[in-house]
Amino acid sequence: MWDKKNEAKPSSQAAEVPAPIVSTPAPEPVTAAPAARVTSKISSGLKIHGDVFGDSDLYVDGEVQGKIRLANSRVTVGPSGRVQAEMEAREIIIDGSVQGDLKASDNVHLGPSSRVVGSVLTPRIAIDDGARLRGKVETVPANPSRESSVAGDAPDSQNLRPVSAGAKAE
Amino acid sequence: MNWMAKTRSSAPASAGVASAKPGPASSGNLPATLRVSNGLKEFLWLISDVRHGRILDLGPVWQSTVSFFVDKGYRVSAEDLLRTWKDFLTAEEEHLRTAPIAEDNEKISPSLLTDKFLETALQYPEQSFHGVLAWDLLDYFDPVVVPILMKRLSSILHPGGAVLALFHSRPVERFQRYRIVDSQTVELLSAPTIAVHAHVFQNREILSLFDQFRSSKTFVGRDQVREGLFLK
Repeated sequence: MWDKKNEAKPSSQAAEVPAPIVSTPAPEPVTAAPAARVTSKISSGLKIHGDVFGDSDLYVDGEVQGKIRLANSRVTVGPSGRVQAEMEAREIIIDGSVQGDLKASDNVHLGPSSRVVGSVLTPRIAIDDGARLRGKVETVPANPSRESSVAGDAPDSQNLRPVSAGAKAE
Repeated sequence: MNWMAKTRSSAPASAGVASAKPGPASSGNLPATLRVSNGLKEFLWLISDVRHGRILDLGPVWQSTVSFFVDKGYRVSAEDLLRTWKDFLTAEEEHLRTAPIAEDNEKISPSLLTDKFLETALQYPEQSFHGVLAWDLLDYFDPVVVPILMKRLSSILHPGGAVLALFHSRPVERFQRYRIVDSQTVELLSAPTIAVHAHVFQNREILSLFDQFRSSKTFVGRDQVREGLFLK
């Protein structure tokens, strides 16, 4: 629905949206990611109700309600993005508004315009001045096997049990 | 945690911005935006016995503060209580402005507002935290509201947990935020005013606010900011 083809040629539904399609954001440094990744976009003016899952990176500048599970990918919520969803991904970058828990197997970055209400569970977190967070920050050991760290339907709490940075699991 | 035992054996130097302790505890060479905090030093000392303790920061979330505690093995929750309160009041005003008059039979009082505010704010299970950083936010709430907030703060604090709070001894000219630089230094950051300084608490009032706590200590700095450390 929001794959690369639709980006290149906006659908009639997207064309009705007055807001411009957001261009691909400047690439962030991606660690240990495949060289050529596809970034899908939910542009400003689009609303998604439901679960989002798969393997491509995702850029959200529209609205999402539901769940976002992209275990091996990067999820970026742009400045206009509004997400009401639990998010699981390898890397999560927030510059917009999120209501829901964030769970990343690599890192979370809260940008200066980010507004987050929810918990953050990640091995690494970067918080820019101006970011707003209402919730807890828990760090977990980086999982060497990212492929399975947040993926799958089975509970992954064994891998993501809240522990202190640099410490062994409780 | 044994506050009294620690106090007797090796408590940090008593009061004042410039600690009698050796090392960088002196504020002499610090930029104006940095402040030596004996309260913070003692706060850290009090919670040092807790393994994987939980800290609640009631100010804005800062990388330096989060990293400081995470690196020491703590877990951090952040809730910018003053901003949340301001957002709440703004929403309430908007609601009152747009609501039909018939709905406004209920009298609005600060305590009623606070009760409503606490339906969504500071929503944590009892005894969730081993330490609370309240900074100077209590100065910015209506004095009627503060005891209600204190009751909630006390309930979410673990027995033996500590609260660090700052109180200005004169009305504040500039709105500032605080973030931790190191174990005895906080950085004061000028910020857009989101609330006006509401009340100067006298020492007796401060002690009264924390009368549910079993122990308290205050330090007055050269800048006339009183740091209070309260042990539940």
